[in-house]
Amino acid sequence: MTTTTLLGELKKRGVKVRRRGERLLLRDLHGALTPELRAAIDAHREELLATLDGAERSTLRSVDSVCPYCGVGCAIRYFVDEAEDRIRYADGRESPVNHERLCVKGRFGFDYTSHPDRLQTPLIRKESAYPKGPLSTEVRGERKRRPGGLVDYDEVLPHFREATWEEALDLAATRLVEIRDRDGSGALAGFGSAKCSNEEAYLFQKLVRAAFGTNNVDHCTRLCHASSVTALLETIGSGAVTNVFGDVQNADVALIAGSNTTGNHPVAATFIKQARKSGRTKLIVVEPRRIQMADHADYFLQIDSGTDVAFYNSWMHVLIEEGLIDEAYIAERTEGFEELKAVVAGYSPEVAAGICGVEPGLIREAARTFGRAERAMIFWGMGISQHTHGTDNSRCLISLALMTGNIGREGTGLHPLRGQNNVQGASDAGVIPMVYPDYQSVADPAVREKFEQAWGVELDAKPGLTVVEIMGAALDGVIRGMYMMGENPFLSDPNVNKVRKALTNLEFLVVQDIFLTETAEFADVILPATTFFEKSGTYTNTDRRVQVGRKALQPPGGARQDWEITCEIGARMGYPMEYDSPEEVFSEFTALAPSYAGLTYDNLGLTGKLWPCPDPSEDGIQVLFGDRFPTASGRGKFVPAEFAPAKELPDEEYPFVLNTGRRLEHWHTGTMTRRSRALHAIRPGPVVDMHPTDLEALGVEDGELVEVASRRGSIVLPAASSDRMLRGAVFIPFHFREAAANLLTIDELDPAGKIPEYKFCAVRVSPAS
Amino acid sequence: MIDLTIDGRAVQVPPGATIWEAARLLGIDLPVLCHDPRLEPVGVCRLCLVEVGEPKLTAACVRGAEDGMEVRTSSERLEVCRRGLVELLLSDYPIDASGRPKTGSDALLALASELGADWPDRRSRSGETGEAPRSRTEPAGGIPAGQGRPLDGTSKVIFVDHQACILCDRCIRGCDDLQVNEVMGRTGKGYQTRIAFDLDAPMGESTCVSCGECEKVCPTGALSLRVWEEPPKDAAGSGNTGWEVL
Ligand code: SF4
Ligand code: SF4
Ligand code: FES
Repeated sequence: MTTTTLLGELKKRGVKVRRRGERLLLRDLHGALTPELRAAIDAHREELLATLDGAERSTLRSVDSVCPYCGVGCAIRYFVDEAEDRIRYADGRESPVNHERLCVKGRFGFDYTSHPDRLQTPLIRKESAYPKGPLSTEVRGERKRRPGGLVDYDEVLPHFREATWEEALDLAATRLVEIRDRDGSGALAGFGSAKCSNEEAYLFQKLVRAAFGTNNVDHCTRLCHASSVTALLETIGSGAVTNVFGDVQNADVALIAGSNTTGNHPVAATFIKQARKSGRTKLIVVEPRRIQMADHADYFLQIDSGTDVAFYNSWMHVLIEEGLIDEAYIAERTEGFEELKAVVAGYSPEVAAGICGVEPGLIREAARTFGRAERAMIFWGMGISQHTHGTDNSRCLISLALMTGNIGREGTGLHPLRGQNNVQGASDAGVIPMVYPDYQSVADPAVREKFEQAWGVELDAKPGLTVVEIMGAALDGVIRGMYMMGENPFLSDPNVNKVRKALTNLEFLVVQDIFLTETAEFADVILPATTFFEKSGTYTNTDRRVQVGRKALQPPGGARQDWEITCEIGARMGYPMEYDSPEEVFSEFTALAPSYAGLTYDNLGLTGKLWPCPDPSEDGIQVLFGDRFPTASGRGKFVPAEFAPAKELPDEEYPFVLNTGRRLEHWHTGTMTRRSRALHAIRPGPVVDMHPTDLEALGVEDGELVEVASRRGSIVLPAASSDRMLRGAVFIPFHFREAAANLLTIDELDPAGKIPEYKFCAVRVSPAS
Repeated sequence: MIDLTIDGRAVQVPPGATIWEAARLLGIDLPVLCHDPRLEPVGVCRLCLVEVGEPKLTAACVRGAEDGMEVRTSSERLEVCRRGLVELLLSDYPIDASGRPKTGSDALLALASELGADWPDRRSRSGETGEAPRSRTEPAGGIPAGQGRPLDGTSKVIFVDHQACILCDRCIRGCDDLQVNEVMGRTGKGYQTRIAFDLDAPMGESTCVSCGECEKVCPTGALSLRVWEEPPKDAAGSGNTGWEVL
């Protein structure tokens, strides 16, 4: 039987058949097979057998690249079917980062790039779609959100018309120039993206600074580690990690603070778990949820949300009281210890226990374990940073490391786990309102002169506004025009209802993205961009490892590379930016960023290099600050912090504490992962995690719908009973627009880091009728 | 350092190195099924047998290199043993487990073709012998098939065919020692021994986090990918999880 007759026969019998290359996909097979058909299928398979091992693979092109998701930055080899222009599968490559390991997102989450929803033509908002506002009933907030829904294309697309690139780019540039010339540079702003490459980030901030003429350029680092970076810069003079996560194998103790590591940095977590399993490393986990990492821990301290300052102050109290500090290190390498000592004196474990809800004895024991370690590493995540006192939380962790001499040696260090694949790089490249590339202050006249010379224009001396401030300024009508490259603030920023008004209020908005996002509904012009897989560029992971992502697929239809689009807009605004390749952009960037000096595409090779890399024949410097800190005095500074409660505490009306975050299978606003077959199939929708006793008190069964409401909004979603939660606490991931956690969150900011308090607000939960 | 010769070529390795590692230094690729350099060797498949001048053959992946050792990696005897081992492993191997999409290689079948091994299911299906194809659920040819070594399609990303599993423990070590997800182990006794997820739950209902490590290291069609399907048309769609890749 030929394959075609076989297919016909199977179909006749009601078997659903699809061909995937030589392979057959069959459904509803059961009972439909006669012996002849069985034999025919087998014969077909016999043919495949002839090409048993690797033959299938040898017809595929392999591309050595990295993962597009998290800051771990796993090295991946993609196997590409060139005829179909599709990635067939992904495999981990050998690299110091992941040693061939991957997580579910890296291994299975690449197919969003081939999704039919991809934008392929520039779009311009139709006359009839003005005055502006959200276009879908869901984003308007009028209709109950469709379960499992992404933006409804059928509802939104009719409000746009297709345009040529010429027309769309001209329109974008003309309107931006118009606003700039009429209202001044300060009326413009740009959101870059931590998903784009270093080159794209560099060009984006260059465009905003040199062509828009403002420092109003920021990206989602503001929403993840801005407070950590602020604290790190203030205390040790550098915002990056002091050691790579893999070095945990040489640590005696690893402290994990406010990080759901197995969910959000899964491959980094494997190394931490492995170190623990080897017997060398003791693991201390401090978290309000009994996360998976807690199952591996020697000490698990389930503190109440938002009480970190009190908790770590009491650790320091114990360490000082019991002489478990490194006097020599404190004397030689630090300053401000006396001030710190005075503050933490007030935080005995008994005092802290009253605040954090953990036994004082346990606090003491864990603190001693940390203090006695010869080498300790501290990892932290959003549980530390996303608070109105996020900077204080980070300051405490840094002080803890400084007083025990745990920075600058093998097996020690501070490691804020960076979230996005290129959040380190986008920050390094200057997509931050106060600094040029490599954290050079815009307020420093000498620095500014250097960049004015390099870019050939006069630059604004005033530091720009941050993400949430820009949204506020848009609402107030101060910001009139915006350019957004790959950000979706509608779902990612706190207090969605306010963001909706702010976006509506913008006179002109350009959105450059790969899918129609919620934010794009407010756009005047939408520019179809390329995914990670369709372009080359460098990405800097959480370890400071700069790696090359290599092009695997062709962009669909008329989609263009992000860096080219940025340059086109620049040229049309009268600021030509001409480059032949991302490589050329990279060398311009490295020339202006001393930390990246010496790095080239050639020497980055297959496994990349750590910055700084003074000798490009080596891998770069793994452990930083062995002798001195890059501060004015060369010393690390203790900055004490007093405990302050979160901005919105639970009360009778809103008795629960809402914590938001991510799930292993999904990424941020879900535009990518919800369009990936495997990831979507594993976790198709949102749930709110609650303690079983709380659910029982509400009379709600596991899986039933509840309404979660805060002072800012409300959502309805199924409840999931989880004894990993504390009583009185609820957890909602922010990926799902049909139950957007950020409708509930509060847009209160940390005063220093300007990061919103995503991890704490008061909510009410009730059965949804 | 330890000095030894392999197939007459001298090589030096640090103490603690295995014969397999020493051979690799010389670029000699010994056949392996249960071994992977990323994993602790367990020496269960015996495919890496070599002669070291002792009456018994020894497994290179676990045997430490010794000073003055003279190792032979190929001979008539080794060939016969290796082919025999592969044929035994394949004696109840279901032919539909072949050709499934995999991240790693289907090393068992590759070795079978390399060594010219043959196995019942292949013979019967190809019509060479006139035997009726064996059923997955009923004993045939004296070999008890279908003793609780079922198919498991509950995971959204990995398809499990217990009948094709050779119990090399690579997946278990990948899951427990590399990823430290500690989901996998063994269950059952004797012929019914099989890999298990948690306390023998279906994979899709276990605490598996779908990292794919077990599938990557599996050298047979026992763990294969089920991802060459269309992405969902609509995120609300069914996810097409019912498709069987054949
Ligand atoms: S750990 Fe992060 S970088 Fe690695 S595969 Fe998963 S998402 Fe990608
Ligand atoms: S996919 Fe599941 S069973 Fe396999 S290694 Fe990963 S966690 Fe373990
Ligand atoms: S590879 Fe050595 S015994 Fe399996």
